[in-house]
Amino acid sequence: MGGKKILEIDGLYPIVTQLVFISCLLAFCGVPVIALVMARARRMESSAVALLLVGLLLGLGVGLRAFRGGGLVLLDFSSSITPFAFTLALDRLGAFFLVLICGVTIPVALFSVTYLDRHYDAPRRAWIWGLFSLFILSMILVVVAATAFAFLVAWELMTLFSAGLILIEGSSKERLHNLFIYLLMMHAGAAAVAASFFLFSPFSPDLGFANIRLASSLLTPGVRAAIFLVAFVGFGTKAGIIPFHLWLPRAHPIAPTPVSALMSGVMLKTAVYGFVRFSFDFLAGGPRWGGYLILFVGALSGVLGVLYAIGEQDLKRLLAYSSVENIGIIFMGLGSALIFTANQAQTWAVLALAAALFHTFNHALFKSLLFLGSGAIADATHSLDLEELGGLLNRMPVSGAAFLVGCASIVGLPLFNGFVSEWVTLQSFLAGSTLAGDYPRMILPLMAGALALIGGLGAACFIRVYGVAFLGRPRSAAAGAAQEAPPAMQWGMWLLATPCVVLGIAPGLMLNPLTVLSQSLIPGATFPEMITSLPVILVWTALAVLVTICLVAIVRVRRRVTPTWACGLPGLTERMQYTSTAFSKPVRFVFSVVYKPDRRLEILPNSDTYFPTAISYSSVRTTSYERYLYRPITDAVIGLANQLRRIQSGNIQVYLLYIFLALILLLTVVGIYR
Amino acid sequence: MSLLLPIFQALLMLAGAPLVGGVVSATKARLQRRRGASVFRSYADLWKLFRKEDLTPPTASPLFALAPLIVFTVIVVSSLLLPVLTEGSLLGGRGDFILLISLLALARFFLVLGGMDGGGAFGGMGGSREVLISALAEVPFMLSLISVSILAQSSRLSGIVHWTLSQNIFDVSAVHILAFSAMAMVAIAETGRMPVDNPTTHLELTMIHEAMVLEYSGPSLAFLEWASALKLNVVLSLLVAVFLPWGMATAWTPPALAIAVLAYAGKILVLAVTLAVVESGVAKMRMYAVPDFLGIATATSILAVVFTALGRR
Amino acid sequence: MEIIQLAIGKALSSSAVFLLISVLLLAAARRVSTGIILFALQSAIITALVMATAYTEKSAEAWIVAALVFGFKVVAIPTALLWLVERLKVPREISSQLTAAQGVFVAVVIIVLSYAAVQSYAPEAGAAADPLAASVALILTGAFLMVSRRKAMMQVLGLLVMENGIFLAALATTFGMPLVIEIGIFFDLLMGILIMGIFAFRIRDTFEHLDVSRLRRLRG
Repeated sequence: MGGKKILEIDGLYPIVTQLVFISCLLAFCGVPVIALVMARARRMESSAVALLLVGLLLGLGVGLRAFRGGGLVLLDFSSSITPFAFTLALDRLGAFFLVLICGVTIPVALFSVTYLDRHYDAPRRAWIWGLFSLFILSMILVVVAATAFAFLVAWELMTLFSAGLILIEGSSKERLHNLFIYLLMMHAGAAAVAASFFLFSPFSPDLGFANIRLASSLLTPGVRAAIFLVAFVGFGTKAGIIPFHLWLPRAHPIAPTPVSALMSGVMLKTAVYGFVRFSFDFLAGGPRWGGYLILFVGALSGVLGVLYAIGEQDLKRLLAYSSVENIGIIFMGLGSALIFTANQAQTWAVLALAAALFHTFNHALFKSLLFLGSGAIADATHSLDLEELGGLLNRMPVSGAAFLVGCASIVGLPLFNGFVSEWVTLQSFLAGSTLAGDYPRMILPLMAGALALIGGLGAACFIRVYGVAFLGRPRSAAAGAAQEAPPAMQWGMWLLATPCVVLGIAPGLMLNPLTVLSQSLIPGATFPEMITSLPVILVWTALAVLVTICLVAIVRVRRRVTPTWACGLPGLTERMQYTSTAFSKPVRFVFSVVYKPDRRLEILPNSDTYFPTAISYSSVRTTSYERYLYRPITDAVIGLANQLRRIQSGNIQVYLLYIFLALILLLTVVGIYR
Repeated sequence: MSLLLPIFQALLMLAGAPLVGGVVSATKARLQRRRGASVFRSYADLWKLFRKEDLTPPTASPLFALAPLIVFTVIVVSSLLLPVLTEGSLLGGRGDFILLISLLALARFFLVLGGMDGGGAFGGMGGSREVLISALAEVPFMLSLISVSILAQSSRLSGIVHWTLSQNIFDVSAVHILAFSAMAMVAIAETGRMPVDNPTTHLELTMIHEAMVLEYSGPSLAFLEWASALKLNVVLSLLVAVFLPWGMATAWTPPALAIAVLAYAGKILVLAVTLAVVESGVAKMRMYAVPDFLGIATATSILAVVFTALGRR
Repeated sequence: MEIIQLAIGKALSSSAVFLLISVLLLAAARRVSTGIILFALQSAIITALVMATAYTEKSAEAWIVAALVFGFKVVAIPTALLWLVERLKVPREISSQLTAAQGVFVAVVIIVLSYAAVQSYAPEAGAAADPLAASVALILTGAFLMVSRRKAMMQVLGLLVMENGIFLAALATTFGMPLVIEIGIFFDLLMGILIMGIFAFRIRDTFEHLDVSRLRRLRG
């Protein structure tokens, strides 16, 4: 990609691609116009959705072509005002994320057609479709931007449009508070991202990506380390990595469900994109300790994220925390790639990077799937509280099966895509033993233990979700009366579930191009051979499972439906089932250090000691981050603000005096500086 | 020939699985000064269950009937990964220990879900205990095998066996001892034996595996019982293959193979009797003492991995 | 003869491994009597090491030291301690501040630290890294046992383990100390055990328990 490097595959290709891409962008811009202009018209929705799908398909086509073929410049508005150069270009890395964004959004959009229709009135739908389209446009711009200016503009727009979408859902006080935290942290992160760009500016005045790349070799080690660190903080905030995850479980659940799917499944991935762009493309590896930092923070995010997810009752919050976990796994892969790069083991670095990117893609698939599934559940039962669900698989078999695929994938079970990316990540950890030096040889293989723990706890988490929500008896009347989701929603879910299975059995489809992509990011690497060996056995396993199921289906078993024996009592009721709280209790008990529950038991005594009038029990999980990390910061900021309030008199002349003094001061400084 | 032997090996594992469980219970009976049932009792049980009808709770979903089959198939596939008589196995050249661990996790996933689909209290109870214990066991399971595979420079089980066979049995290696101790503890937890889980109890305070399969009957139960027996066999064979592979056939000659079969049977017998002795000698742990037990295994396996890096063997 | 040489070689190369494992087991031990038996086994390994050294160095003194180690540390002291535990009739558990798993984690950290610490010294001291690291690990584990266990008996045991570590360090670096000093140390130890034993009886008789964490009156 970059600057002037246009890959001449054939003369027409660049021009055609540019035209297609421009029409794709125009389509996205057109959707809000249609939605708002035709807000009253009956055909509004179908035309808006049609245009949106056209845009997505065009984007997908461009992305797939460039993902396989290589880079080109799409648009170039380089003006004479250098810091505001606005160039869009597409290289393999950007193209991969373009494929991810468009590919995942298509099913989500399909799902939304019916979902939005059932849950929102026409004017709000118009707003949602308009903002939805602009949100996607901003994400696409992030991954095709080729100058710092373009990147930062798109980055900010992405935050704003998603915030707008959250606001549509409602504006109660609590929601506004959560939204405020979201915006605040996003802007802090964006400031860090901007700062990391500006650190390049002495060496690359126009801040175009091509020049930044050239400039990185001129940097002093100190500045390189600073850029790496600031970029990690900036993108880590967007990715929701612990301890910058505070906004994630607040913001994701309060958005409309399809938007939650996009935020968790796709928007977080732009942060991964940004971090890969900085650490691998710009800095070509970062400082020596960088890899360890990323690895440890990733492992921490993974373990804590999944533990918090297990503690949640609300399905959407649970999924949001599970995103923290998966982002942790992705960063573990990135950290391992950085360690290998720093130790000149390029081939393994390629493998680890490909694994991280593959997991990024996989997570986009199954997390969006699970969010859509939670939408289907909410649609059918009007509840996302696990305690009020149950027995849904009998009532909504198609959605239930898709959700099962999502659960199995996210847990990383063989035959599903999550397994393959975790397998390759584990292989890269194992390969750490081939490096020189005691630390990488010790730390990398030990990280496999952390990943195993994440996998085991993830299984605990999603077995609980599926078992409580979809199996057994319905725990509420609403769950008992649930109906199967309408066809468009089923299609949306299965369009995401199918690639989960396909990539689980034939991972090479995605893994091979990703390896080529990683190779282009890590100079001097060869193609690792081992990737090709796994798929065969997965096919074998799949075959074995299928054959057995078919065999037994042919051989009829005598089967009788009869009530379960209830130890002599009249019969089992749904209240006798293990609740979701009870199911997670052992894990929460063993890891109580992490949860630090704040329990309150209040008993209103009666004259009779054994029969109190009322007992109330509450258990609130406190997060230590708020108390020990964020509280001091906010206290300091508020304290500072209180001090600053003294200069606020309210008198306009005083303010003019301030401006006057500032001008004088500035002139003095300039004068002395000259 | 190259296909025949692995198939024979797989069938041996599958058919011999109930016998291993039988030997354990027979030994336990003897240790308790009972005559006990025949070692072939498990076969009769399976045969009986296969001829019975299958009872399904009215609220169960199709997953309830499907889960036992998936569990059984997946465990069978995982047994195909193991080198038993020779270095090779049906799938051993292509799959590694990570796949083996993950296949066991896949089986467990459906086992727990099947239990929860029964709609009673016990499925969830057993399931919630099982997922905790397996999550904690996963770490030492992975790390102890990783430490050995680092020594062997191969993550394939056949590669590990090949390397170990080339070593002298008397070369005591810290990594091997530590990894073996961790693996032994993991094996107890994974297969649900005492002191982690009592395979013979039906008391709700203590049961884990039995609670999950409580609502099953007939052929479904038979598949689950067979799968659980095979899993015990798989885990014991894994211990044998990784830590004590000596005696495996390196040539394709009948005498070598005969020795391999005898050696394998002998080693499994020794492990089964040891298991029976351990089970008779210890008391079942409290549920919340299990994390402590597995914590020891984790610490030990961490040390094993660290020792591979320090170059001490 | 060759077979003996081979056996000695193996014993020397693998003794460190077994000592480290005894460290892990000590950290996991839940009963005082288990700890004592582990200490006896540990001393037996050290006896074997001394014997191996005696054979290769052809030193009569070393044979005597081996006999002393065996007599005192493998037989006499453990028997005495076991008898003491039996007679004191206090609960068998060591009542630690930490769970068994946490104890083993600490032991793992101790072992890794000892290797890290010894790595640079070992060549200078002209000793193999393994036994030296094991000796450091033994000393640290002894200290750890004394710090974390509440029973007075375990303080004695921790002291003994530390002494084992010091003995091993001497053995690893200079093939053992002169005989006179060894004998002196042994008598020191024996006296120490004797005094501790008497104190244990007195403590038990006065306070009806042996829990050192509850002995706080002294601070006045």
